[in-house]
Amino acid sequence: MIFKQFRYEPLFQASYLLGCSRAREGFVVDPIADLGTDHYVLEAADQGLDVVGVLETHVHADFVSCARELAEMTGASHYLHEAAEGLVRYEFTPLADGQTLTVGQVDVKAIHTPGHTPEHTCFLVTDRARTDEPWAVLTGDSLFVGDVGRPDLLVGDEVLDVFSETERAELQFRSIHERLFTLPEHVEVFPNHYGGSTCGGVNMSGKASSTIWFEKRFNLALSQPDVAAFDDFVRETAKPFPESYQWIKSYNLGLITKDELQGAMRT
Amino acid sequence: MNAAEVAAAVDEGAVVLDLRPPRPFATGHLPGALTMQFNRADLGDRAELQLPQGIRLVVHAEPEPIAKVAVEILGEEGFEVLGHLEGGLAAWREAGHPTETLPLIDVDELHDELDRYTVVDAREGFEHRHGHVPGAVLFPPGDAWERADELPAGTPLAVVCGDQTRSAYVASVLRRRDRDAVLVMGGMVDWLERGFETERTAAPAA
Amino acid sequence: MQITEDKVLDARGLLCPMPVVKAGKEIKTLEPGQVLKVLATDRGSVADMPAWAEDTGNELLEWHEENGVFVYFVRKLASED
Repeated sequence: MIFKQFRYEPLFQASYLLGCSRAREGFVVDPIADLGTDHYVLEAADQGLDVVGVLETHVHADFVSCARELAEMTGASHYLHEAAEGLVRYEFTPLADGQTLTVGQVDVKAIHTPGHTPEHTCFLVTDRARTDEPWAVLTGDSLFVGDVGRPDLLVGDEVLDVFSETERAELQFRSIHERLFTLPEHVEVFPNHYGGSTCGGVNMSGKASSTIWFEKRFNLALSQPDVAAFDDFVRETAKPFPESYQWIKSYNLGLITKDELQGAMRT
Repeated sequence: MNAAEVAAAVDEGAVVLDLRPPRPFATGHLPGALTMQFNRADLGDRAELQLPQGIRLVVHAEPEPIAKVAVEILGEEGFEVLGHLEGGLAAWREAGHPTETLPLIDVDELHDELDRYTVVDAREGFEHRHGHVPGAVLFPPGDAWERADELPAGTPLAVVCGDQTRSAYVASVLRRRDRDAVLVMGGMVDWLERGFETERTAAPAA
Repeated sequence: MQITEDKVLDARGLLCPMPVVKAGKEIKTLEPGQVLKVLATDRGSVADMPAWAEDTGNELLEWHEENGVFVYFVRKLASED
């Protein structure tokens, strides 16, 4: 299996290229426009992989995604969880909870983990060339190393924010406990953010990977006894909102164009 | 360069270098195109070892960012690169130009039909000596362009190497020279994995 | 048997024939008896490396695949004279 994590340090953002070298096919997860489509295309080519799927854990609010452009450039499908239907204004290929995408001997299974956003989905990776046991989970903005994805990023549009902040905190707490912490403990955790990212709280580690074993025991937010305590803890340890997040989210949802986004960011 | 410009350049003797993977190349490519596998790490080194000097190149690679990087890499290596085909194979076809194919077989097919083929071993002498498909003719890629006419026309040639990286290049050279070449996917690594027989020949006396 | 290498050549990401070409250059910098560890991702290396070792009079001690990387241990036997 080929597995590469790309870190864009200015935004503490991690994206991924993974695939099967024998099958010569791979997926890109959460590509960031600051690295650009060319970066992913060239990295995939260096590894001898054709990009057949561009996956996103959720519609991002803190960085501009290049998933649509990358999918178009490579002819790959652009995947989001089906709950994004009605939220985004463009065509994409919907994923159902539990659905598995496969390239060669590599399986990527969607695990729906609403909380940070309603459509948020983690991707469980298995390399059947080694074993049928899952090996890693790409956790997006749900479970971070040492922290959790904040449940309070509103776009400010009633139509789009289908849950209140308290509801999303509860969903986040339950999604992680019930759907991620029930995975085999050896499974490695690869998040979408780390370190100084404002998508999580002050306890977010600068280390960009962990394990379920470690986070179950030492993640402070998730060690809170119940949802109410978790909600309080997350509020108390929150960081400032990501810069321009409403504009970025609007662009990533397809509500505004790149030009409109750039115009807004300039002012 | 658009399709018309590429076609004109080819008419004037430019050679298309197709950097897509073997399967898309096999399915359809510009007539007479040579093929190599793209990467950033050593495309320049491999091109320098294999491609003939003095030819003028047009790059075909998809998606487009790969073509642009390849043009740079080859230029830095000292090749004369006229440009790359914008819009790729789709643009070429839309402009009404024909394409050619390269037949692919695997080692099982080669093994089953071994007497039908002349096997061309696109590796170096020491690799061929270490063990080759019975009857395989040594044909290193660095000499392929110069020696293509030494191989017979009108009879099927099955080209092998370690996997299919070098053999794809040699097969494309042979097809450009109207040889009936087919590419053996998986090469000697697959052949050995299957446990098929190989033969060794002694090194020629110095 | 635990093999300790004297030098490591990282040829991951290189395509054939480059791993063997680089191994050939690198082994010249070793003394007879020393061990070169070569890492390669190119599948063709599985056939090239043993052939190269034999041809250059070096000993391929061991090779294996781990996580998609082919690892070769080559002991230099003779110097190039």
